[in-house]
Amino acid sequence: MKHLRRLFSQIVTMIRGRDSRFDEEIEAHIALQADENLRAGMNPQEARRQAVLKFGPVQSVRENCRAEQGLPFAESLLRDTRRSLRRLRNSPGFTATAIFTLAVGIGATTSIFSLVHAVLLQSLPVPHPDQLYRIGKAPKCCVNGGYIEGGDYGLASDDLYTHLRDHTQGFKELAAFDSGGTFLGVMDARSGAAAETYFGEYVSGNYFTMFGIRAIAGRLLSAGDDHAGAPPVAVMSYRAWRDQYSRDQSVIGALFRIDGKPFTIVGVAPPSFYGHSLSNLPPDFYLPLATEPLVKGDSSFLRKSDVAWLNMIGRIRPGSSVAGIEAQMRVELQDWLRTHLSEMSASERVQLPQQSLNLVPGGAGMTFMQLQYGDWLWILMVSAASVLLIVCINLANLMLVRGMDRRPQTSLSLALGVRRARLLQESLTESLLLSLAGGAAGLGVAFLTTRMILHLAFQTTTEVPIAAVPSLPVLGFALVLSVLTCVLFGAAPAWLSTRVNPIEALRGANRSTKHSGSRLRKALVVGQVAISVALISSSGLLLLTLRHLERQDLGFEQDRRTVINIDPLLAGYKPEQLNSLYRRIHDALAALPGTASVASSLYTPQSGDEWDETVYFEGKSAPGPDADSGAGWARVTPGYFAALGNPVLKGRPITDEDAAQSRHVAVINEAFAQKFFANEDPIGKHFGKGGPTYGGDYEIVGVTKDARFANYNLDKPIAAFFYIPEAQSTAYKESMAASTELRSHFLHDVVVEARPGATVTNAMLRSAFASVDPSLPIRQIQSLNQQVSTTFGQQRLIARLVSLFGMLSLVLAAVGLYGMMSYDLARRTSEIGVRIALGANRKSIFGLILRAAMTLALLGLSLGIPLAVGAGRLLSSQLYGVNPRDPIVVIIATFALALTAFFATLGPAFRAASISPAEAVRTE
Amino acid sequence: MKDKADVRHGTLALMVLKTLDVLGPQHGFGIARRIEQISGDLLSVNQGTLYPLLLKLEQEGAIASDWGCSENNRRARFYRLTRNGKKQLQAETMEWEQTASIMGRFLAMKAEGLR
Repeated sequence: MKHLRRLFSQIVTMIRGRDSRFDEEIEAHIALQADENLRAGMNPQEARRQAVLKFGPVQSVRENCRAEQGLPFAESLLRDTRRSLRRLRNSPGFTATAIFTLAVGIGATTSIFSLVHAVLLQSLPVPHPDQLYRIGKAPKCCVNGGYIEGGDYGLASDDLYTHLRDHTQGFKELAAFDSGGTFLGVMDARSGAAAETYFGEYVSGNYFTMFGIRAIAGRLLSAGDDHAGAPPVAVMSYRAWRDQYSRDQSVIGALFRIDGKPFTIVGVAPPSFYGHSLSNLPPDFYLPLATEPLVKGDSSFLRKSDVAWLNMIGRIRPGSSVAGIEAQMRVELQDWLRTHLSEMSASERVQLPQQSLNLVPGGAGMTFMQLQYGDWLWILMVSAASVLLIVCINLANLMLVRGMDRRPQTSLSLALGVRRARLLQESLTESLLLSLAGGAAGLGVAFLTTRMILHLAFQTTTEVPIAAVPSLPVLGFALVLSVLTCVLFGAAPAWLSTRVNPIEALRGANRSTKHSGSRLRKALVVGQVAISVALISSSGLLLLTLRHLERQDLGFEQDRRTVINIDPLLAGYKPEQLNSLYRRIHDALAALPGTASVASSLYTPQSGDEWDETVYFEGKSAPGPDADSGAGWARVTPGYFAALGNPVLKGRPITDEDAAQSRHVAVINEAFAQKFFANEDPIGKHFGKGGPTYGGDYEIVGVTKDARFANYNLDKPIAAFFYIPEAQSTAYKESMAASTELRSHFLHDVVVEARPGATVTNAMLRSAFASVDPSLPIRQIQSLNQQVSTTFGQQRLIARLVSLFGMLSLVLAAVGLYGMMSYDLARRTSEIGVRIALGANRKSIFGLILRAAMTLALLGLSLGIPLAVGAGRLLSSQLYGVNPRDPIVVIIATFALALTAFFATLGPAFRAASISPAEAVRTE
Repeated sequence: MKDKADVRHGTLALMVLKTLDVLGPQHGFGIARRIEQISGDLLSVNQGTLYPLLLKLEQEGAIASDWGCSENNRRARFYRLTRNGKKQLQAETMEWEQTASIMGRFLAMKAEGLR
């Protein structure tokens, strides 16, 4: 209480200003003492003298009292701030440079951090994400056939999921959801408008309960909705509700048609919820698992215990042991597998004992995005931090110079009795002001940069649930970063500049050619050059990778090709109608003026889709479980190879002759021929997919040039691939193979090749499709060029950003070197004047300055080269077709820096050479 | 001067409060003089400590001050105890007496008594 009262009174004094009461009071004290001394018999003069003596150091007592009246620390801080502000105003060039470079450095780092935070560090926006655990160390996607998955189950069939859910007591809720998600044709039954494509997923009834979130309107799903007989209901995302239905309350309870089936919308998920994981394609509709057979019909997975397609996340009961639950679930998994022994193949049974699962923290959901972007976010973080470090080094140099210039003043202050700590505080206040201003400006830079990166990195039709507006942790990061940079660039110069001998104030300063701090400044410039070399050679490696990727032969033509992505399943087409649908699409598009050729395929190269199968050969034994006998495949219509510009090297392409009743054929790529028929002619040979009994199904009729389909493993050779005609199909006995065969007939990509010089507009394409079937949903129309370039988008973004950081560092290093040499020159003017006066010629002076600078640069380069090699090694996982130790890149980077350093010192060197001795001696 | 002890740290505030309590309002010089007199001129009050202390006590609300006239007609600042100060004096007196008695008992300790 009394401390509070005191603080209040101090603050009042601080604001109101002090009075002079102590001056009077001390005067009175001395007078009273003198009076007493007089009475004791001293003469007036002596009485006064003794009184003052007894009182002690009047001035210091007065100062103490005055200080105690207010808050000394706060006041000196305020005073320092005012003084620093004045000083900074007096050197606007320095201030602007400092704030600008700091804003760039802090902004870049903060921007990358906000991405790191959003993608890598943040948990799902649900209560207590720490209680969430997922099954599977590595996030797994999509569909796995059969019972065997290995030691780390990540996908489960509905049967396995319900078994685990019903037997594990440690979970409050264990939820499951369809791992790949699915596109849905959604139609508001009230309006009767055409169906639109949305992304959605099937989720277990307890999905929302498990996450612990509540509906913003209506209700979310419950266990009651997830039963075979329950009326079909769906939950909409807030985003879809806001953007497509303008938050219309009547949507709740309304009847929608999803893939043609009636669904009642029961509610809207909360705005912050973006599904079970961060993704650039968040679901807009959540359907109960039980409705999957209704929507997918014959290709449904729900009742198939040998098809694993669900991911699982559960919320554990607080206080229960994770290790205990995990052990229990492993036993349950084995129990479940044993109940399906009769359905397993012999090779599956052998692997049974190795089957196991792992329980890992699931607060961030299925971390696909973290896996995809993690590496490059760290690369960018390190690059941005390097730029910031260079900025700090530059500023430290500038601050040192300022400190040196203030030396006479500093030594005078010290001589007058100012404490060193006070001077240090003053100097640090200036640094702190600069770094805070830089940090504030940096936040603006960060906002813009983040928005740009988000736009470039996640080019999708939907938005990524990452905000560019800095969040609280990001703001905190920027603040900490600012203070840290202040310490980095401000502490050493502040300390050095106060380490002057007071005696210097008496001698004329500036009289020596050597001055303290110059060694530190040289070391700083050397460090700057070293970091720059590493950054530039890293960006060189990334640019080379990008060039290598973009210039590689993809095996097909990209120009003049447009890919239209459609979904006939959504429009309710039956498999038997498909052949005629694609024929009609072909005819309608081929009739457009400017069209050269048209074909459809299951998917096109670089579309992101991929189908793989194990292949079996007539007359060969079935491959073992570890043998690599996989090949990618696609179903295509006649004319596909021509439309894609993928040349047939041997035999014939798929044509109209390959009809339903004619013999089943396949066209393979070179890699397929190489892999399975190394020394034989593949034409006329037979193979099949779906099981060893189908080894004679397809007859190979042609070999095409390798075309790169997959948009990953870009540095590896193109994998084996085969094409089969849309018109033909095989009747498989196995459920998984039959379902795959069925789904593969729904071709998603239509390729249109335009005639040279002609253009086929999107509007023309759309109207042609509408003439075939107006209800056929078109998901996307883009040129093949665009489709391919998105594959390299991530590489391009990293390469560009790191290059940008590299250029920044180069410029900053040049500025640093230039500033250092200019300042040195100014200090050495008289020395050089004397040298010239004593007969040194201009050339040797020029050489003197140049040599000094280049020595520093070379020192930096010699440190930078190992740094660059190390950085290359760290980057190696991101480099394709480029040797991380490629000496050319390091040599070019070194050369670029040496050249920059040379040009940066030319100016000061010329100036030095033109010094007139008479003037130089007079400058002191 | 050499044989005079400085006031032990932390005890000056209590002495000031007690002085003001017993003698009524006093100016700074008066307080210092009285403390020295009461101690039988064994203590010497450092003015560099006294005035900041008076300020601190005033800021804390234990004492209040006003300008007034000294006995020989000099303008001086007079300090007086407030109600808060009286309470503080009582509390601190009790505390001090307790400490003193404990210290006394320790210092009077003899080995036999504890066996």
